[in-house]
Amino acid sequence: MKTEGKSMEGKGSLKESKTNKAGRTKNRKGLTMEGRRNLEALMFLSPWIIGTCVFFISAIFSSVRLSFSEIVQLSGFVMEWRGTVNYQNIFMYDINFMPTFISVITNTLINTPLVLVFSLIIAMLINRPVPGRGFFRTCFFIPVLLGSGYIMAQLLQIDATGSVGVGITLPQVLHEMLGNTLVTAIQPFLDRITLILWKSGVQIILFLAGLQGISSSLYEAAKCDGATQWEMFWKITLPMISPIILLNFVYTLVMYFTSSDNDLVKYILDTVFSKIDLARGAAMGWVYFLFIFVLCGVVFGVVRLGSKEKEA
Amino acid sequence: MSVLAKQKEHTKIMKGQGSGNTSLVIATKGKKFVVRFFYYLVLCSLSFVFLYPFITMIVTSLMSDSDLINITIKWIPSGFKWSNYKIAFQQLDYKRYVLNSLLIGTVATLGHVISCSFIGYGFARYQFKFKGLCFAIVILSMLVPVQTIIFPLYIQYSKMGWLDSYLPLLVPTFFGYGLNGAFFIFLFRQFFLGLPKEMEEAARIDGCGAFRTFFKIMLPMSRSSILVTVVLSFVWHWNDYFEPNVYIRSMAKMVLPSRLPGLYALMDTEDAMDLVMEEGGFTFNKAMLMAGTFLVILPVLVVYAFLQKKFMEGVERSGLTGM
Repeated sequence: MKTEGKSMEGKGSLKESKTNKAGRTKNRKGLTMEGRRNLEALMFLSPWIIGTCVFFISAIFSSVRLSFSEIVQLSGFVMEWRGTVNYQNIFMYDINFMPTFISVITNTLINTPLVLVFSLIIAMLINRPVPGRGFFRTCFFIPVLLGSGYIMAQLLQIDATGSVGVGITLPQVLHEMLGNTLVTAIQPFLDRITLILWKSGVQIILFLAGLQGISSSLYEAAKCDGATQWEMFWKITLPMISPIILLNFVYTLVMYFTSSDNDLVKYILDTVFSKIDLARGAAMGWVYFLFIFVLCGVVFGVVRLGSKEKEA
Repeated sequence: MSVLAKQKEHTKIMKGQGSGNTSLVIATKGKKFVVRFFYYLVLCSLSFVFLYPFITMIVTSLMSDSDLINITIKWIPSGFKWSNYKIAFQQLDYKRYVLNSLLIGTVATLGHVISCSFIGYGFARYQFKFKGLCFAIVILSMLVPVQTIIFPLYIQYSKMGWLDSYLPLLVPTFFGYGLNGAFFIFLFRQFFLGLPKEMEEAARIDGCGAFRTFFKIMLPMSRSSILVTVVLSFVWHWNDYFEPNVYIRSMAKMVLPSRLPGLYALMDTEDAMDLVMEEGGFTFNKAMLMAGTFLVILPVLVVYAFLQKKFMEGVERSGLTGM
């Protein structure tokens, strides 16, 4: 054990030698154990570290650099530093970017909470041990199997205006009772609900996993104390699955922001691949990503703050 | 059925059950029956929303030309026209492209299971410097839209000579990247965090090395997470056509879903007319289109049908509450 620890110390990447120094002040045995643990950790993470360097960090850097430059020669990917020109162009001259950006954001911010609420309700419904549960679970998982992009759009017969061909529709009787004006006013709302339900497959699964993880003894204890089902939902279920709500929230945000039927993503891809304006496309991508990142950061921050308050 | 009504029913169920539990005297069988009834009503109407497009697809795919025009026929076609499937099968060049998709799906899934379980275990069990930073990068790689970095990656792969092959799709999965790789790392980390440490410690005391402990003890225990990863990774890879379309140029290497847009175009354009001339007397109609769509998703449905029960069990045991 000792020799291994020492040989690793000899290799001495900065990270490990530092921890070893810290370990030495405690005792000698702790040092070798800790060194060994570090080496093992490095081994387990090595695929990920390689992957990050090759497939992620380098691409991120060249994409950021690209967003601040201009392509001089496409064939060799030669670029020239231009400063913030691309960013200025996006905000000052591009008449399509900001409206698309804003509509995508408002859409996502409206849809995400709805997805969470619906998927939680459905997950709670199919969490009960009743006959036919397996069938319903499979039903709600169908959208995941079909993917979220092209096939789903075709299957739901979504047209260019975003209305759904085979979603929830009001029965013909209501048409006659309410009149056409009201029905056409309600229909977009119903279409949105259909789409939201179709996008919540993975979230239902995650919530189901969370609900299954809550120990039934909690509910039994609450029942003994005379709590109603409603109270149990607010005092037990919701706090216990709050980590999954966070996970689902982030998942849903990312799903909406990166899905290929998102207008802004389409616009960026169009700029990059059809107009071959790579630098501007990269700049748009980074503005977009920065927004997602800040949004997720805010969500995490709020959640952390909330949990701290609870502790105190 | 409007959604408001549904929600009302839902609260009704909750309330009905609540009072049923507390007031012991009034809780009669009749009340229970009503609750049950509404419960199934809500479930059935919700699942109808999910099944409706699916059923429409299957029904439409079996319709003949005259059935398609006839608006009185909605659910039951006058006869099953299986030849729609035959034509769709030929038009998609199914045999060839299904093999491509299967190859990508299988290898990429394998990559994700191996690499993400390995990496997730590292994150769950070891304390080291910069762990927080490393995990933040994992989350970050989940958040960055692939569209943002697709072009630098494209350039990089073209320098490596990987373009027009499956390597850009497959190799990253073996390093914890690829399609939603970070999500699976996260999944495995959560799972391993929830497992008790005693098993490993016992193995280590008996002289079992770190790798052997992982492969002989931890991996067999994580069967449920592996199953979830297999199903999701396969399904996601199968349905993804964005990255394959960017990296793959030659027709012979295309994946199955990226054949579909061509099929849809066939219906709209004049190519359809040419087809009639060439192959002797059929128009490419909506029924054939739906048959094609069904054929594309069929393998996914088959895979899921086999793994369905185990998958749900795996989801339940994946220990996501332990965060």
